[in-house]
Amino acid sequence: MKRWHKLGAGVVFLAAFHCLILFAGFFAPYSYTSRDRRLPFAPPTRLHFFDESGKFHARPFVYDIKDDPAHFGAYLTDTGRRFPIRVFVFGAPYRVAGPFSARVHLFGVDDPGRIFLMGTDAFGRDQFSRFLYGGQISLLAGLIAAFLAISLGMLVGGIAGFYGGWIDNALMRSGELFLALPWLYLLFAVRAALPLQIDSTQVFLLLVAVMGLIGWARPARLIRGVVLSAKERNFVVAARGFGASDSYLLLRHIIPQTGGVVLTQLVLLIPQYILAEVTLTFLGLGVGEPMPSWGTLLASLQQYFILSSYWWMFLPALILMPLFLAYYSAADALQERLKSVSL
Amino acid sequence: MKLLSRRLLHAVLLLLAISFLSFALLQLAPGDYFDEMRLNPQISAQTIEGIRAQYGLDRSLPVRYAFWLFSVLQGKLGFSLSSGMPVGPLLWVRARNTLLLTSTATFLAWALALPIGIWNATKKGKWTDRVTSLATSTLLTIPELLIFLCLLLVAARTGWFPSGGMISPGADGLNALGKAKDLACHLLLPAAGLAMVMMPALIRHIRAAMIEALESPFVRAARGHGIPRVRILFRYALPVAANPLISLAGLSVATLLSASLLVEMILSWPGLGALMVEAILARDVYVVIGVVMLSSMFLIAGNLFADLLLFASDPRIRVE
Amino acid sequence: MNMDQQNPFVRVQYLSKSYVQRHPLTNAKFIVHAFDGVNLTINRGTTLALVGESGAGKSSLARCLALLERPAKGELWFDGLNLAAFGNNQLSVMRRQVQLIFQDSASSLNPRMTAAEIIAEPLVIQKEGTKAEQRQRALALMEEAGLPREWETKLPHEFSGGQRQRLAIARALTLRPKLLILDESLSNLDIASQDQILKLLSSLQKEHSLTYLHISHDLRFVSQFADEIAVMHEGKIIDKEPAAELFTQPKDAYTEELLAAMPTLETICAERFD
Repeated sequence: MKRWHKLGAGVVFLAAFHCLILFAGFFAPYSYTSRDRRLPFAPPTRLHFFDESGKFHARPFVYDIKDDPAHFGAYLTDTGRRFPIRVFVFGAPYRVAGPFSARVHLFGVDDPGRIFLMGTDAFGRDQFSRFLYGGQISLLAGLIAAFLAISLGMLVGGIAGFYGGWIDNALMRSGELFLALPWLYLLFAVRAALPLQIDSTQVFLLLVAVMGLIGWARPARLIRGVVLSAKERNFVVAARGFGASDSYLLLRHIIPQTGGVVLTQLVLLIPQYILAEVTLTFLGLGVGEPMPSWGTLLASLQQYFILSSYWWMFLPALILMPLFLAYYSAADALQERLKSVSL
Repeated sequence: MKLLSRRLLHAVLLLLAISFLSFALLQLAPGDYFDEMRLNPQISAQTIEGIRAQYGLDRSLPVRYAFWLFSVLQGKLGFSLSSGMPVGPLLWVRARNTLLLTSTATFLAWALALPIGIWNATKKGKWTDRVTSLATSTLLTIPELLIFLCLLLVAARTGWFPSGGMISPGADGLNALGKAKDLACHLLLPAAGLAMVMMPALIRHIRAAMIEALESPFVRAARGHGIPRVRILFRYALPVAANPLISLAGLSVATLLSASLLVEMILSWPGLGALMVEAILARDVYVVIGVVMLSSMFLIAGNLFADLLLFASDPRIRVE
Repeated sequence: MNMDQQNPFVRVQYLSKSYVQRHPLTNAKFIVHAFDGVNLTINRGTTLALVGESGAGKSSLARCLALLERPAKGELWFDGLNLAAFGNNQLSVMRRQVQLIFQDSASSLNPRMTAAEIIAEPLVIQKEGTKAEQRQRALALMEEAGLPREWETKLPHEFSGGQRQRLAIARALTLRPKLLILDESLSNLDIASQDQILKLLSSLQKEHSLTYLHISHDLRFVSQFADEIAVMHEGKIIDKEPAAELFTQPKDAYTEELLAAMPTLETICAERFD
């Protein structure tokens, strides 16, 4: 039953991760725009349990940091004052599910202490908070785009497979058009068709729509295959013999058979689309400032001195790995399950 | 031969369709190359319109498309507004660079993946196989972005490799060998990066194809006849495994081109991808269309080549 | 048995069907004749067995008679009605009168539906009765087919081959058809199950005055129950006689060949263990 363990572990991790991102406002100590001009490129704040005198404190605490006059850009820890980490603090307001706003954050420290779990960027903005908020953008983009692509793929593949003939031909040929282009080039080309300077939300929506709309070809082909074989199954023929209409056959018998393929494709597409959004934004063609997509967080790494001096700016990219691992192992497990439950 | 000519015709029609669609799509977009110029109060609107008329940008869509097609036949593929020269020569140079990069990477990837994949297929289930499996799975989950950034970091920190570009400044003064060495130095990191992106999936597929071939009845029969293992591996199993692998090679051109775009941007390799991004940011329409067309052509050519290889290698397909 | 000679339930005249197939590589078209110029009558309440080797066109004929496909040429009469003139709507009404039972029971049942859902499906499609009424009818049919009512929530893979065919038969009876076409339905079952299902079919035939068209490749098998037997060879009906006559005094040379290829247990034993 190792298969199930893989699937279960992956799903649990994904659920937890998405929860974290969904309630970014709660888990992030700061908002994504708040900046501390004193502390650009501050390294991740270290948590301490033992203070200078060696005394153990059950509640971890942080120290304040100041500029190091000896080395430009470096920081010294000021062990004068301890800032214990508090839970359920009141901080900057944030929005929860639309119009509702709240002010409770999971953790924080009193002013002027700062807790930067992932360090800060050039403007002194907390990378951890920006990572969580950025996740909302990148994950949402990936999810919506993947859903769009799959839905379109189901529609096209279902119609092509079920009706066959010239409709099938025409639809598959147009799919070829989309598959004939390397997808990143296609994405860029379509992005090129959109005006460069437009409102952030509009960019986001357009980007998602575009990604979803170009990605239908491969799922459509797979779904069409399933529909074609399902159409000829004897139980479908039998139902037709009872006078079933086309829509009944599609809804009751054929579409349910595509469930396995659809789910697997969805789980495979989501990480690809997340990566696509991150890549686009990284190259400056996606969502712009101040929206903190993961791509924006990584974009500064293209500058040599940031790349080599501030290692914590890499962290958003590193966190992508377990995320993708979870998605891929879930997809793997699903595919194995699909194969074993042969029709 | 009939098959080949039909496929070629199909490819040409496909390219035409793509060209028309991209053309229409891009020309419909609001704004153009001259947007920035329009913001400049020193340049009058008339001058801009004059320039536009000069390049025929004020004509209607079908007319512009016709002109562009004509220009394609001439080998010029339209006019690049940023560089002030026909798109064609610009494309060839960049395309050559991208081809150099991608073919080196492909060669590297296959040269490493083939022995590893075959070796693991023969040692299926043993610890080397498991370790490789784990490594490939891990490598697969690392986003390309991260791999390329890490390579850049390595270059920057260690200084062993140049951190970008294709040739060093002042390389013109070197002799042929020197130039070749210089090029190789610059080529190594991006090609290695691309190869790392391709290898995990490649190793998996090669291993799977070899295992399937090795476990097929006719190979088992050969083993039963006492034919030495090495001979079985190379004369019996490998040709059978080649079939799905060749199709795979054809299909992987798409991923290769997409990944190469990214590596060109991060490691500043002057290839097609980099050209495309610059053109998009500058709204240089004809260049964008040119790049799209060329990349599709590569893809279609790759698939066609793979199909031909398949045709040549698999005697079963030739029977009509 | 009610032999209604003047007014047979099914009359088939000059039925023909051909398919266009394409060569897998060259894409050239060539025509396959499934069956050609078929004439048949089946009398009400009787069982006609259609015998022939694989590829003789029996299944295509079955599908045409089940109104799942249209013949290319010829006429089909059900209960005195000429179906050639029927439009699609009228045909789907006629479809209620004919039901087809497939050879492979597993593939003819949706693996994700429960037994009760499967049997009730025709009622759902034809929008007859409330959900409760549909379920009651399904349960009643299950009992009639010899399946315990408690099994209504079981899935097809939980049934044995013979039980699945019972399920398929129960489903076929839902709309009270008059003609049941069994396309090699018992060929995949063991002898014991075959025997049981034949008994079931026989009692159902008496109970509901059903007419059966039983398609098979095995003359010996059909000898157990057929009233009349038609022999099909390469798409044409070459012989049709009452069962008694066919086995004792066959009229056709091909039929004689088939009979000769069917040795009895005695002759086998005599040849091998003499």
